[in-house]
Amino acid sequence: MRPLVGALLLACAATVQAETTPEALGWLSKISQATEKLSYTGTFVYQQGESTETSRITRLVDASGDVEKLEALDGTPREIVRTSDAVRCYLPETRTVKVDRRSGRRSFPAMLPEQLDKVAQNYSVALGAIKRIAGYECQEVVLTPKDDQRYGYKLWADTKTGMLLKARTFDDKGRMVEQFTFTMLTIGNVPRESLKSRYAAQDWRIEDTSVVPANLAESGWSVRGGLPPGFLKVDEVGRRLGDAKPLGQIVYSDGLAAVSVFIEPSEGRTEPVRTGLSSMGAIHIYTREVANHVVTVVGEAPAASVRRIANAVEYRPRQ
Amino acid sequence: MKSKVSALMDGELDEHEASVPLAALERDREAFEAWRTYHLISDALQDAGALSQGFTQRFAARLAQEPTVLAPGRQAVRRERATWLALSAAASLAAVSLVAWLAFAPPPGSAPAAIAVAPEEPVAERDVARVPPPQTANDYLLAHQGYSPRLSLQGVAPYVRTVSDPQVERKAR
Repeated sequence: MRPLVGALLLACAATVQAETTPEALGWLSKISQATEKLSYTGTFVYQQGESTETSRITRLVDASGDVEKLEALDGTPREIVRTSDAVRCYLPETRTVKVDRRSGRRSFPAMLPEQLDKVAQNYSVALGAIKRIAGYECQEVVLTPKDDQRYGYKLWADTKTGMLLKARTFDDKGRMVEQFTFTMLTIGNVPRESLKSRYAAQDWRIEDTSVVPANLAESGWSVRGGLPPGFLKVDEVGRRLGDAKPLGQIVYSDGLAAVSVFIEPSEGRTEPVRTGLSSMGAIHIYTREVANHVVTVVGEAPAASVRRIANAVEYRPRQ
Repeated sequence: MKSKVSALMDGELDEHEASVPLAALERDREAFEAWRTYHLISDALQDAGALSQGFTQRFAARLAQEPTVLAPGRQAVRRERATWLALSAAASLAAVSLVAWLAFAPPPGSAPAAIAVAPEEPVAERDVARVPPPQTANDYLLAHQGYSPRLSLQGVAPYVRTVSDPQVERKAR
Protein backbone atom coordinates (compact mmCIF):
# COMPACT_ATOMS: atom_id res chain seq x y z
CA MET A 1 0.00 0.00 0.00
CA ARG A 2 2.69 2.39 1.01
CA PRO A 3 4.62 2.41 -2.31
CA LEU A 4 1.34 3.24 -4.09
CA VAL A 5 0.69 6.26 -1.85
CA GLY A 6 4.26 7.36 -2.40
CA ALA A 7 3.88 7.11 -6.15
CA LEU A 8 0.63 9.09 -6.02
CA LEU A 9 2.23 11.83 -3.94
CA LEU A 10 5.10 11.97 -6.37
CA ALA A 11 2.70 12.27 -9.31
CA CYS A 12 0.86 15.11 -7.56
CA ALA A 13 4.07 16.94 -6.75
CA ALA A 14 5.01 16.91 -10.42
CA THR A 15 1.79 18.65 -11.52
CA VAL A 16 1.11 21.06 -8.65
CA GLN A 17 3.02 24.34 -8.79
CA ALA A 18 4.76 25.93 -5.87
CA GLU A 19 2.24 27.01 -3.24
CA THR A 20 1.57 30.69 -2.71
CA THR A 21 3.35 31.95 0.39
CA PRO A 22 2.37 35.04 2.42
CA GLU A 23 5.98 36.14 2.12
CA ALA A 24 5.78 36.14 -1.69
CA LEU A 25 2.45 38.04 -1.64
CA GLY A 26 4.12 40.50 0.74
CA TRP A 27 6.69 41.15 -1.97
CA LEU A 28 3.94 42.18 -4.39
CA SER A 29 2.79 44.78 -1.82
CA LYS A 30 6.35 45.91 -1.34
CA ILE A 31 6.84 46.40 -5.11
CA SER A 32 3.55 48.27 -5.39
CA GLN A 33 4.45 50.58 -2.49
CA ALA A 34 7.86 51.28 -4.03
CA THR A 35 6.17 52.17 -7.34
CA GLU A 36 3.90 54.56 -5.51
CA LYS A 37 6.48 56.25 -3.27
CA LEU A 38 9.87 56.28 -5.01
CA SER A 39 11.34 58.97 -7.25
CA TYR A 40 13.79 57.60 -9.79
CA THR A 41 15.32 57.95 -13.19
CA GLY A 42 16.58 55.14 -15.37
CA THR A 43 16.89 53.44 -18.72
CA PHE A 44 15.10 50.23 -19.54
CA VAL A 45 14.96 47.85 -22.46
CA TYR A 46 11.65 46.46 -23.65
CA GLN A 47 12.08 43.18 -25.49
CA GLN A 48 9.46 41.39 -27.51
CA GLY A 49 10.23 38.59 -29.98
CA GLU A 50 13.22 39.70 -32.05
CA SER A 51 12.85 43.39 -31.31
CA THR A 52 14.25 45.46 -28.46
CA GLU A 53 13.53 49.06 -27.65
CA THR A 54 15.27 51.35 -25.18
CA SER A 55 13.38 54.00 -23.19
CA ARG A 56 14.14 56.45 -20.43
CA ILE A 57 11.79 56.67 -17.49
CA THR A 58 11.68 59.43 -14.86
CA ARG A 59 9.37 59.61 -11.89
CA LEU A 60 9.00 62.25 -9.22
CA VAL A 61 6.88 61.96 -6.08
CA ASP A 62 6.59 65.04 -3.90
CA ALA A 63 4.02 67.18 -2.11
CA SER A 64 2.81 68.77 -5.36
CA GLY A 65 1.80 65.40 -6.79
CA ASP A 66 3.52 62.64 -8.69
CA VAL A 67 4.58 62.85 -12.32
CA GLU A 68 6.10 60.18 -14.49
CA LYS A 69 7.63 60.46 -17.95
CA LEU A 70 8.54 57.81 -20.48
CA GLU A 71 10.67 58.71 -23.52
CA ALA A 72 11.39 56.32 -26.37
CA LEU A 73 15.08 56.50 -27.23
CA ASP A 74 14.92 54.17 -30.24
CA GLY A 75 12.99 54.72 -33.45
CA THR A 76 10.29 57.34 -33.80
CA PRO A 77 10.60 59.90 -30.99
CA ARG A 78 7.62 59.93 -28.64
CA GLU A 79 6.85 60.67 -25.03
CA ILE A 80 4.30 59.69 -22.46
CA VAL A 81 3.71 61.90 -19.43
CA ARG A 82 1.47 60.67 -16.66
CA THR A 83 0.16 63.03 -14.01
CA SER A 84 -2.39 62.27 -11.30
CA ASP A 85 -5.32 63.16 -13.58
CA ALA A 86 -4.22 62.14 -17.09
CA VAL A 87 -1.85 60.28 -19.36
CA ARG A 88 -0.59 62.36 -22.29
CA CYS A 89 1.01 60.73 -25.27
CA TYR A 90 3.12 63.12 -27.40
CA LEU A 91 3.64 62.03 -31.00
CA PRO A 92 5.91 64.63 -32.68
CA GLU A 93 5.85 62.95 -36.08
CA THR A 94 2.13 63.55 -36.48
CA ARG A 95 2.11 66.58 -34.13
CA THR A 96 -0.55 64.98 -31.99
CA VAL A 97 -1.16 64.73 -28.25
CA LYS A 98 -3.44 61.91 -27.19
CA VAL A 99 -4.93 62.41 -23.75
CA ASP A 100 -6.49 59.74 -21.55
CA ARG A 101 -8.14 61.37 -18.55
CA ARG A 102 -8.38 59.41 -15.37
CA SER A 103 -11.60 60.74 -13.97
CA GLY A 104 -12.65 59.52 -10.56
CA ARG A 105 -10.24 56.62 -10.27
CA ARG A 106 -6.77 56.35 -8.92
CA SER A 107 -4.05 56.79 -11.47
CA PHE A 108 -2.32 53.69 -10.17
CA PRO A 109 -4.55 50.97 -8.83
CA ALA A 110 -2.61 50.00 -5.71
CA MET A 111 -2.17 46.36 -4.77
CA LEU A 112 -4.71 46.38 -1.97
CA PRO A 113 -5.34 43.22 0.08
CA GLU A 114 -8.46 42.35 -1.96
CA GLN A 115 -6.42 42.70 -5.13
CA LEU A 116 -3.78 40.35 -3.71
CA ASP A 117 -6.54 37.83 -2.93
CA LYS A 118 -7.61 37.98 -6.56
CA VAL A 119 -4.04 37.45 -7.73
CA ALA A 120 -3.62 34.49 -5.36
CA GLN A 121 -6.82 32.91 -6.72
CA ASN A 122 -5.48 32.89 -10.27
CA TYR A 123 -1.72 32.53 -9.79
CA SER A 124 0.67 30.71 -7.48
CA VAL A 125 3.00 33.33 -6.09
CA ALA A 126 6.38 32.09 -4.86
CA LEU A 127 9.81 33.49 -4.19
CA GLY A 128 12.74 32.58 -6.41
CA ALA A 129 16.45 33.24 -6.22
CA ILE A 130 18.36 36.43 -5.46
CA LYS A 131 20.00 37.93 -8.54
CA ARG A 132 21.91 41.12 -9.33
CA ILE A 133 20.36 43.40 -11.97
CA ALA A 134 21.77 46.80 -13.01
CA GLY A 135 23.82 46.89 -9.82
CA TYR A 136 20.91 46.10 -7.48
CA GLU A 137 20.50 42.91 -5.51
CA CYS A 138 17.06 41.64 -6.51
CA GLN A 139 14.53 39.15 -5.17
CA GLU A 140 12.80 37.06 -7.82
CA VAL A 141 9.02 36.63 -7.47
CA VAL A 142 7.38 34.02 -9.71
CA LEU A 143 3.67 34.19 -10.57
CA THR A 144 2.65 30.89 -12.14
CA PRO A 145 -0.84 30.90 -13.67
CA LYS A 146 -3.24 28.21 -12.41
CA ASP A 147 -4.55 27.57 -15.94
CA ASP A 148 -3.62 28.36 -19.54
CA GLN A 149 -5.99 31.34 -19.78
CA ARG A 150 -3.39 33.84 -18.60
CA TYR A 151 0.33 34.49 -18.82
CA GLY A 152 2.87 33.89 -16.07
CA TYR A 153 5.24 36.52 -14.72
CA LYS A 154 8.69 36.67 -13.21
CA LEU A 155 9.49 39.85 -11.32
CA TRP A 156 12.82 40.94 -9.91
CA ALA A 157 12.74 43.68 -7.26
CA ASP A 158 15.46 45.47 -5.28
CA THR A 159 15.75 43.73 -1.90
CA LYS A 160 16.17 47.09 -0.11
CA THR A 161 13.53 49.37 -1.67
CA GLY A 162 11.22 46.94 -3.51
CA MET A 163 11.77 48.82 -6.80
CA LEU A 164 11.01 46.56 -9.79
CA LEU A 165 14.14 46.14 -11.92
CA LYS A 166 12.98 43.46 -14.32
CA ALA A 167 9.68 41.88 -15.36
CA ARG A 168 9.25 38.96 -17.71
CA THR A 169 6.01 37.59 -19.13
CA PHE A 170 6.00 33.91 -20.10
CA ASP A 171 3.48 31.63 -21.82
CA ASP A 172 2.17 28.18 -20.88
CA LYS A 173 5.23 26.54 -22.42
CA GLY A 174 7.50 28.72 -20.32
CA ARG A 175 8.65 30.75 -23.34
CA MET A 176 9.34 34.46 -22.90
CA VAL A 177 6.62 36.66 -24.41
CA GLU A 178 8.07 40.03 -23.46
CA GLN A 179 10.47 41.54 -20.96
CA PHE A 180 11.26 44.88 -19.32
CA THR A 181 14.77 45.27 -17.86
CA PHE A 182 16.39 48.30 -16.31
CA THR A 183 19.97 48.70 -17.51
CA MET A 184 20.54 51.82 -15.42
CA LEU A 185 18.61 53.11 -12.43
CA THR A 186 19.14 55.92 -9.93
CA ILE A 187 16.72 56.20 -7.02
CA GLY A 188 16.07 59.71 -5.65
CA ASN A 189 17.44 63.15 -6.70
CA VAL A 190 15.00 63.86 -9.53
CA PRO A 191 14.74 67.57 -10.51
CA ARG A 192 11.20 68.67 -11.40
CA GLU A 193 12.30 70.22 -14.73
CA SER A 194 13.27 66.79 -16.02
CA LEU A 195 9.61 65.74 -15.91
CA LYS A 196 8.39 68.31 -18.40
CA SER A 197 7.69 67.18 -21.92
CA ARG A 198 10.37 68.31 -24.35
CA TYR A 199 7.60 69.36 -26.72
CA ALA A 200 5.77 72.66 -26.38
CA ALA A 201 3.04 71.08 -28.54
CA GLN A 202 1.30 74.45 -28.83
CA ASP A 203 -0.33 74.10 -32.22
CA TRP A 204 -0.51 70.31 -32.10
CA ARG A 205 -3.69 68.43 -32.61
CA ILE A 206 -5.16 67.27 -29.30
CA GLU A 207 -7.17 64.08 -29.14
CA ASP A 208 -8.87 64.09 -25.80
CA THR A 209 -10.92 61.13 -24.69
CA SER A 210 -13.89 62.08 -22.63
CA VAL A 211 -15.01 59.23 -20.43
CA VAL A 212 -18.56 58.82 -19.16
CA PRO A 213 -20.06 55.94 -17.18
CA ALA A 214 -22.00 53.55 -19.39
CA ASN A 215 -24.18 50.50 -19.14
CA LEU A 216 -23.80 48.38 -22.21
CA ALA A 217 -25.91 45.56 -20.81
CA GLU A 218 -28.86 47.95 -20.82
CA SER A 219 -28.38 48.39 -24.55
CA GLY A 220 -28.39 44.63 -25.12
CA TRP A 221 -24.67 43.87 -25.07
CA SER A 222 -23.27 41.05 -23.01
CA VAL A 223 -20.15 38.94 -22.68
CA ARG A 224 -21.68 35.71 -21.50
CA GLY A 225 -20.17 32.35 -20.80
CA GLY A 226 -16.95 33.02 -22.66
CA LEU A 227 -15.01 34.82 -19.97
CA PRO A 228 -11.93 32.89 -18.87
CA PRO A 229 -12.22 31.89 -15.18
CA GLY A 230 -11.14 34.56 -12.71
CA PHE A 231 -11.75 37.54 -15.01
CA LEU A 232 -14.20 39.93 -13.37
CA LYS A 233 -15.61 43.21 -14.63
CA VAL A 234 -13.78 46.21 -13.19
CA ASP A 235 -15.23 49.10 -15.19
CA GLU A 236 -17.61 50.02 -17.97
CA VAL A 237 -17.40 53.38 -19.72
CA GLY A 238 -18.35 55.26 -22.84
CA ARG A 239 -15.65 57.27 -24.54
CA ARG A 240 -14.59 58.93 -27.75
CA LEU A 241 -11.26 58.01 -29.34
CA GLY A 242 -9.72 60.52 -31.72
CA ASP A 243 -12.32 61.67 -34.21
CA ALA A 244 -14.20 58.42 -34.01
CA LYS A 245 -17.78 58.00 -32.95
CA PRO A 246 -18.47 57.22 -29.30
CA LEU A 247 -17.69 53.70 -28.27
CA GLY A 248 -18.26 51.53 -25.25
CA GLN A 249 -15.50 49.91 -23.22
CA ILE A 250 -15.86 47.11 -20.68
CA VAL A 251 -12.77 46.11 -18.71
CA TYR A 252 -12.18 42.72 -17.09
CA SER A 253 -9.26 41.74 -14.87
CA ASP A 254 -7.96 38.69 -13.01
CA GLY A 255 -6.02 40.83 -10.55
CA LEU A 256 -2.92 41.15 -12.71
CA ALA A 257 -3.92 41.01 -16.38
CA ALA A 258 -6.61 43.24 -17.88
CA VAL A 259 -8.70 42.84 -21.02
CA SER A 260 -10.82 45.59 -22.61
CA VAL A 261 -13.80 45.00 -24.86
CA PHE A 262 -14.49 47.94 -27.20
CA ILE A 263 -17.82 48.11 -29.02
CA GLU A 264 -18.47 50.72 -31.69
CA PRO A 265 -20.88 51.09 -34.63
CA SER A 266 -19.57 49.83 -37.99
CA GLU A 267 -21.44 52.58 -39.79
CA GLY A 268 -19.31 55.42 -41.13
CA ARG A 269 -15.98 53.67 -40.66
CA THR A 270 -13.37 54.23 -43.34
CA GLU A 271 -11.30 51.19 -42.37
CA PRO A 272 -12.67 47.81 -43.47
CA VAL A 273 -13.33 45.40 -40.61
CA ARG A 274 -10.73 42.64 -40.67
CA THR A 275 -11.81 39.72 -38.55
CA GLY A 276 -8.79 38.23 -36.87
CA LEU A 277 -5.92 38.56 -34.47
CA SER A 278 -2.95 40.89 -34.22
CA SER A 279 -0.27 40.82 -31.54
CA MET A 280 2.33 43.13 -29.98
CA GLY A 281 4.30 41.34 -27.30
CA ALA A 282 1.93 40.17 -24.58
CA ILE A 283 -0.88 42.31 -25.97
CA HIS A 284 -3.32 40.72 -28.38
CA ILE A 285 -6.08 42.42 -30.32
CA TYR A 286 -8.97 40.44 -31.74
CA THR A 287 -11.51 42.11 -34.02
CA ARG A 288 -14.87 40.81 -35.19
CA GLU A 289 -18.17 42.25 -36.26
CA VAL A 290 -21.32 41.67 -34.24
CA ALA A 291 -24.75 43.05 -35.16
CA ASN A 292 -23.31 45.81 -37.32
CA HIS A 293 -20.88 46.84 -34.62
CA VAL A 294 -17.15 46.33 -34.49
CA VAL A 295 -15.99 44.45 -31.40
CA THR A 296 -12.29 44.93 -30.60
CA VAL A 297 -10.85 43.05 -27.65
CA VAL A 298 -7.48 44.29 -26.39
CA GLY A 299 -5.71 42.48 -23.62
CA GLU A 300 -2.55 41.36 -21.96
CA ALA A 301 -3.55 37.71 -22.08
CA PRO A 302 -2.85 34.75 -24.37
CA ALA A 303 -4.34 35.05 -27.87
CA ALA A 304 -6.81 32.23 -27.17
CA SER A 305 -8.23 34.05 -24.12
CA VAL A 306 -8.57 37.34 -25.99
CA ARG A 307 -10.33 35.62 -28.88
CA ARG A 308 -12.53 33.66 -26.49
CA ILE A 309 -13.71 36.89 -24.89
CA ALA A 310 -14.30 38.48 -28.32
CA ASN A 311 -16.35 35.49 -29.40
CA ALA A 312 -18.43 35.68 -26.24
CA VAL A 313 -19.70 39.18 -27.05
CA GLU A 314 -23.39 38.99 -27.87
CA TYR A 315 -26.07 41.45 -28.80
CA ARG A 316 -29.67 40.72 -27.82
CA PRO A 317 -32.08 43.64 -27.90
CA ARG A 318 -34.00 44.03 -24.68
CA GLN A 319 -37.63 43.06 -24.89
CA MET B 1 14.61 32.02 -56.90
CA LYS B 2 13.49 28.47 -56.01
CA SER B 3 12.86 29.46 -52.40
CA LYS B 4 10.80 32.43 -53.62
CA VAL B 5 8.76 30.14 -55.86
CA SER B 6 8.22 27.84 -52.91
CA ALA B 7 7.13 30.77 -50.73
CA LEU B 8 4.76 31.91 -53.49
CA MET B 9 3.18 28.46 -53.63
CA ASP B 10 2.71 28.44 -49.89
CA GLY B 11 0.96 31.80 -50.07
CA GLU B 12 3.59 33.42 -47.87
CA LEU B 13 4.22 36.43 -50.09
CA ASP B 14 2.18 39.59 -50.24
CA GLU B 15 1.15 41.14 -53.54
CA HIS B 16 4.31 43.19 -53.85
CA GLU B 17 6.72 40.40 -52.92
CA ALA B 18 4.93 37.96 -55.20
CA SER B 19 5.54 40.09 -58.30
CA VAL B 20 9.22 39.00 -58.47
CA PRO B 21 8.72 35.20 -58.64
CA LEU B 22 5.60 35.66 -60.80
CA ALA B 23 7.64 37.58 -63.36
CA ALA B 24 10.40 34.97 -63.15
CA LEU B 25 7.93 32.18 -63.94
CA GLU B 26 7.34 33.79 -67.31
CA ARG B 27 10.99 34.17 -68.29
CA ASP B 28 13.08 31.83 -66.20
CA ARG B 29 12.93 28.20 -67.36
CA GLU B 30 14.46 26.96 -64.10
CA ALA B 31 11.92 28.81 -61.96
CA PHE B 32 9.10 27.42 -64.08
CA GLU B 33 10.47 23.88 -63.73
CA ALA B 34 10.69 24.38 -59.95
CA TRP B 35 7.07 25.58 -59.92
CA ARG B 36 5.98 22.45 -61.80
CA THR B 37 8.06 20.10 -59.69
CA TYR B 38 6.80 21.60 -56.42
CA HIS B 39 3.22 21.24 -57.60
CA LEU B 40 3.86 17.63 -58.60
CA ILE B 41 5.30 16.93 -55.14
CA SER B 42 2.41 18.71 -53.48
CA ASP B 43 -0.14 16.80 -55.60
CA ALA B 44 1.60 13.51 -54.88
CA LEU B 45 1.56 14.24 -51.14
CA GLN B 46 -2.11 15.13 -51.26
CA ASP B 47 -2.85 12.12 -53.42
CA ALA B 48 -4.35 14.16 -56.26
CA GLY B 49 -4.62 12.44 -59.64
CA ALA B 50 -1.93 13.37 -62.17
CA LEU B 51 -2.94 15.46 -65.18
CA SER B 52 -2.82 13.82 -68.59
CA GLN B 53 0.19 14.28 -70.86
CA GLY B 54 0.26 17.68 -72.56
CA PHE B 55 -2.51 19.14 -70.36
CA THR B 56 -0.76 22.49 -69.94
CA GLN B 57 -0.31 22.99 -73.69
CA ARG B 58 -3.92 22.02 -74.46
CA PHE B 59 -5.20 24.27 -71.66
CA ALA B 60 -3.14 27.21 -72.94
CA ALA B 61 -4.46 26.68 -76.46
CA ARG B 62 -8.08 26.58 -75.27
CA LEU B 63 -7.55 29.65 -73.09
CA ALA B 64 -6.12 31.58 -76.03
CA GLN B 65 -9.36 30.94 -77.93
CA GLU B 66 -11.55 32.34 -75.10
CA PRO B 67 -12.93 35.85 -75.81
CA THR B 68 -11.30 38.61 -73.78
CA VAL B 69 -13.61 40.29 -71.29
CA LEU B 70 -12.87 43.96 -70.81
CA ALA B 71 -13.66 45.33 -67.35
CA PRO B 72 -11.07 48.02 -66.74
CA GLY B 73 -10.10 49.29 -63.33
CA ARG B 74 -12.22 47.05 -61.16
CA GLN B 75 -9.90 44.20 -60.37
CA ALA B 76 -8.15 45.55 -57.28
CA VAL B 77 -11.37 46.59 -55.60
CA ARG B 78 -13.00 43.26 -56.28
CA ARG B 79 -10.06 41.34 -54.89
CA GLU B 80 -10.09 43.22 -51.60
CA ARG B 81 -13.80 42.71 -51.23
CA ALA B 82 -13.51 39.01 -51.94
CA THR B 83 -10.85 38.55 -49.26
CA TRP B 84 -12.90 40.44 -46.75
CA LEU B 85 -16.00 38.39 -47.46
CA ALA B 86 -13.99 35.20 -47.19
CA LEU B 87 -12.66 36.24 -43.81
CA SER B 88 -16.13 37.05 -42.56
CA ALA B 89 -17.39 33.73 -43.77
CA ALA B 90 -14.53 31.93 -42.09
CA ALA B 91 -15.44 33.47 -38.79
CA SER B 92 -19.02 32.32 -39.37
CA LEU B 93 -20.57 35.54 -38.17
CA ALA B 94 -24.11 34.75 -37.29
CA ALA B 95 -27.20 36.83 -37.98
CA VAL B 96 -25.65 40.21 -38.53
CA SER B 97 -28.17 42.92 -39.16
CA LEU B 98 -28.52 46.62 -38.87
CA VAL B 99 -29.08 47.94 -35.38
CA ALA B 100 -28.79 51.39 -33.96
CA TRP B 101 -26.00 52.33 -31.57
CA LEU B 102 -27.70 52.31 -28.22
CA ALA B 103 -25.04 52.38 -25.56
CA PHE B 104 -25.46 55.97 -24.53
CA ALA B 105 -29.11 56.76 -25.01
CA PRO B 106 -31.00 53.51 -25.04
CA PRO B 107 -34.61 54.08 -26.06
CA PRO B 108 -36.28 51.14 -24.29
CA GLY B 109 -38.22 48.75 -26.46
CA SER B 110 -37.40 50.45 -29.76
CA ALA B 111 -34.54 48.16 -30.76
CA PRO B 112 -34.98 46.13 -33.91
CA ALA B 113 -35.35 42.41 -33.34
CA ALA B 114 -31.85 41.32 -34.16
CA ILE B 115 -29.85 38.77 -32.26
CA ALA B 116 -26.17 38.16 -32.75
CA VAL B 117 -24.85 35.07 -31.07
CA ALA B 118 -21.24 34.08 -30.56
CA PRO B 119 -19.82 31.72 -33.19
CA GLU B 120 -19.26 28.13 -32.19
CA GLU B 121 -16.03 27.18 -30.47
CA PRO B 122 -13.46 25.89 -30.89
CA VAL B 123 -11.32 26.81 -33.86
CA ALA B 124 -7.74 25.58 -33.64
CA GLU B 125 -5.45 28.45 -32.68
CA ARG B 126 -3.32 28.10 -35.81
CA ASP B 127 -6.41 28.55 -37.99
CA VAL B 128 -7.11 32.00 -36.56
CA ALA B 129 -6.69 34.72 -39.17
CA ARG B 130 -3.72 37.02 -38.55
CA VAL B 131 -4.55 40.61 -39.45
CA PRO B 132 -2.61 43.88 -39.22
CA PRO B 133 -3.38 45.88 -36.07
CA PRO B 134 -6.37 48.21 -36.52
CA GLN B 135 -5.42 51.76 -37.54
CA THR B 136 -6.76 52.93 -34.22
CA ALA B 137 -4.71 50.37 -32.24
CA ASN B 138 -2.83 53.05 -30.33
CA ASP B 139 -6.07 54.70 -29.23
CA TYR B 140 -7.35 51.38 -27.92
CA LEU B 141 -4.04 50.70 -26.16
CA LEU B 142 -3.99 54.12 -24.53
CA ALA B 143 -7.58 53.67 -23.37
CA HIS B 144 -6.86 50.13 -22.16
CA GLN B 145 -3.52 50.31 -20.39
CA GLY B 146 -4.71 52.71 -17.70
CA TYR B 147 -6.70 49.78 -16.30
CA SER B 148 -3.82 47.33 -16.14
CA PRO B 149 -3.03 46.31 -12.55
CA ARG B 150 0.56 46.01 -13.76
CA LEU B 151 0.84 49.79 -13.49
CA SER B 152 0.80 49.44 -9.73
CA LEU B 153 3.90 47.24 -9.96
CA GLN B 154 5.66 48.88 -12.85
CA GLY B 155 4.51 52.47 -13.18
CA VAL B 156 4.16 53.91 -16.66
CA ALA B 157 6.68 51.50 -18.32
CA PRO B 158 4.05 49.20 -19.94
CA TYR B 159 2.86 52.24 -21.92
CA VAL B 160 5.92 51.74 -24.10
CA ARG B 161 3.67 49.30 -25.94
CA THR B 162 1.10 51.99 -26.62
CA VAL B 163 3.19 53.54 -29.32
CA SER B 164 5.64 50.75 -30.11
CA ASP B 165 4.56 50.59 -33.71
CA PRO B 166 4.85 54.03 -35.37
CA GLN B 167 3.64 52.43 -38.62
CA VAL B 168 0.20 52.03 -37.14
CA GLU B 169 0.12 55.63 -36.05
CA ARG B 170 1.22 56.85 -39.47
CA LYS B 171 -1.47 54.82 -41.22
CA ALA B 172 -4.12 56.24 -38.94
CA ARG B 173 -3.50 59.78 -40.16
